[in-house]
Amino acid sequence: MLSIKLAYKNLIGAGLRTWLNVFVLSLAFVIIIWHKGMLDGWDHQAKSDMIAWECGGGQYWNDKYDPNDLFTLEESHGILPQTLKELETKKEATSILISQGSIYPEGRMQSVLLKGIDPDQQILDIPSTKLKTAGSEIQVLIGEYMAKTNRLKKGDVFSMRWRTSNGAFDAADAVVAGIFKTNVPTVDAAQLWLPIETLRQMLDMPDESTILVTRQISENHPEAKGWKFQNLSILLSDVDKMIQAKSISGSILWLILMMLAMLAIFDTQVLSIFRRQKEIGTCIALGMTKGQVIRLFTIEGAMHSIFAMIVALLWGTPLLYLQAVKGITMPGDKNTYGITIADVLYPSYSLGLVASTCIIVFITTAIVSYLPSRKIAGMNPTEAIRGKIK
Amino acid sequence: MISESIITIKGLTKDFPVGSGYFRALNEVNLEFGRGEFAGLIGPSGSGKTTLLNIIGSLDTPTKGEVIVLGKDISHLNSQESASLRKEKLGFIFQSYNLLPVYTVYENVEFPLLLLNLPETERKKMVMEALEWVGLTQKVKSRPSMLSGGECQRVAIARAMVKKPIIVLADEPTANLDAENSHHILRTMATLNQELNTTFIFATHDEKVISYLKRRITLADGSLVSA
Ligand SMILES: Nc1ncnc2c1ncn2[C@@H]1O[C@H](COP(=O)(O)OP(=O)(O)OP(=O)(O)O)[C@@H](O)[C@H]1O
Ligand SMILES: [Mg+2]
Repeated sequence: MLSIKLAYKNLIGAGLRTWLNVFVLSLAFVIIIWHKGMLDGWDHQAKSDMIAWECGGGQYWNDKYDPNDLFTLEESHGILPQTLKELETKKEATSILISQGSIYPEGRMQSVLLKGIDPDQQILDIPSTKLKTAGSEIQVLIGEYMAKTNRLKKGDVFSMRWRTSNGAFDAADAVVAGIFKTNVPTVDAAQLWLPIETLRQMLDMPDESTILVTRQISENHPEAKGWKFQNLSILLSDVDKMIQAKSISGSILWLILMMLAMLAIFDTQVLSIFRRQKEIGTCIALGMTKGQVIRLFTIEGAMHSIFAMIVALLWGTPLLYLQAVKGITMPGDKNTYGITIADVLYPSYSLGLVASTCIIVFITTAIVSYLPSRKIAGMNPTEAIRGKIK
Repeated sequence: MISESIITIKGLTKDFPVGSGYFRALNEVNLEFGRGEFAGLIGPSGSGKTTLLNIIGSLDTPTKGEVIVLGKDISHLNSQESASLRKEKLGFIFQSYNLLPVYTVYENVEFPLLLLNLPETERKKMVMEALEWVGLTQKVKSRPSMLSGGECQRVAIARAMVKKPIIVLADEPTANLDAENSHHILRTMATLNQELNTTFIFATHDEKVISYLKRRITLADGSLVSA
């Protein structure tokens, strides 16, 4: 208690130098929290968007299905076993049939994935009801990015080509029934959504599916022969990897700031121990042990971080709060990020994030303050009193 | 003349390592101090006055011989024990005052009481009493940088006296003061010596200090000349 009181007085007494250190440290503080908060917000948003648009509560994959291998796509489909079919009739899941094809908008060719989906499904956010529009052409849904890259508008008609189950090519005209906006590039870029029954007829694969998407938060995932269940941690692992990579590259900035702050505090400590040796000697003459003096100086240095927390709180809170409410507008074409990202990102600052940052900064500062303070142990008090140590 | 011995020094020798050999700063010193003395170590520069005072104050240790202060053998105290001896029983006054610069006059005088963990109300009473002894009750809120040398030394005396120590060790307390201020603080210390029966031991070659001393101990080249 005494050391804290004395350390506080000494720090305040040191004036400008203290506040400079505190400011740099508070800068590091806010940037760490901001950076982590942005990644957490992104992580959260990316995952919930992917769950809503693509993953549901997990997917059953036909045993042969491998999303990274387009060549096996033609074999990786089948009729759902009874247990899975039941899920679908109870509206606990919805089938998707996937195949390869090409489209020819304005005469150019573009390879696409044809994805059949039940127009009445309510498992995913894809606005499949738009597929129920009547018309002579095949109704298809595409995402905004797909629409932009192929210069397609609602109502545009283009020709489409695919291979049937026996290997023969077939072609028909398709019409854009709707364009949807999503943050999930994997349901947008080069994806063509059409009614599953239409696709089954086109491919001559009655009743067949490639994957079965289950409803969010459903715990009902029975075993099914020939189909493997992919839970969310598998389906979302790309997001984790991505966030991890971003987290490492972004850490460099706050690491530099943190090092600057630590260097400043270390320097202050070394200087203050040298300049204040008379004070140190006097404290010892007045009855403090060297250990107590070391503790006093360490607390004094570590207290920079407490001050920094308060200062960071003062200027950082309104700033971070504003960002959390208004969000951060992501610059440029979001699809170039290659991963789900919203136009506006909402950072999420958890109490745990703030607390763990505080603890890390406090401990680092304490160590950096302690290291030079150890020099006091070797001081000769009679020389220190007269300020004679060089 | 010596009522009750509180410091006993027998065969004290102090060597300082210098280069490959050593320098003998004190040589076979035998001395005794009683309660309430107003004594001074006098002698030319380099005669060992400060060295002897530091050893009595347990800031330094003997090379050889025995120094007993208030029943404690200085050679055998660990750092904790010597710190409590200083904290509870000894007061120091230095040539350059050694006030803590960021503290006010009040806080400087209060410091030894904080180390003793005394409650606030008691501390306040004791600090004000000590400031009254040295006539500085008007300057409680000043910082050392705002005070004159004489005032600083009076704060230092109040700091040394506030806990009513048994022994006060004062190394050249007047070296930085003019004649008027020197007499002022010496009168203050002589009065406190009378009223509180505090033992004062000075190290000095200042004639003004010497004239106030009741006992003069002369050192030359680390040896006692007369006690
Ligand atoms: N730490 C040390 N290392 C080496 N020599 C020392 C040390 N401290 C003191 N001495 C030497 O011991 C001798 C006595 O020193 P001391 O400081 O006790 O003298 P003093 O009588 O107080 O002198 P002054 O009147 O100048 O203060 C001096 O010659 C000094 O150089
Ligand atoms: Mg001296």
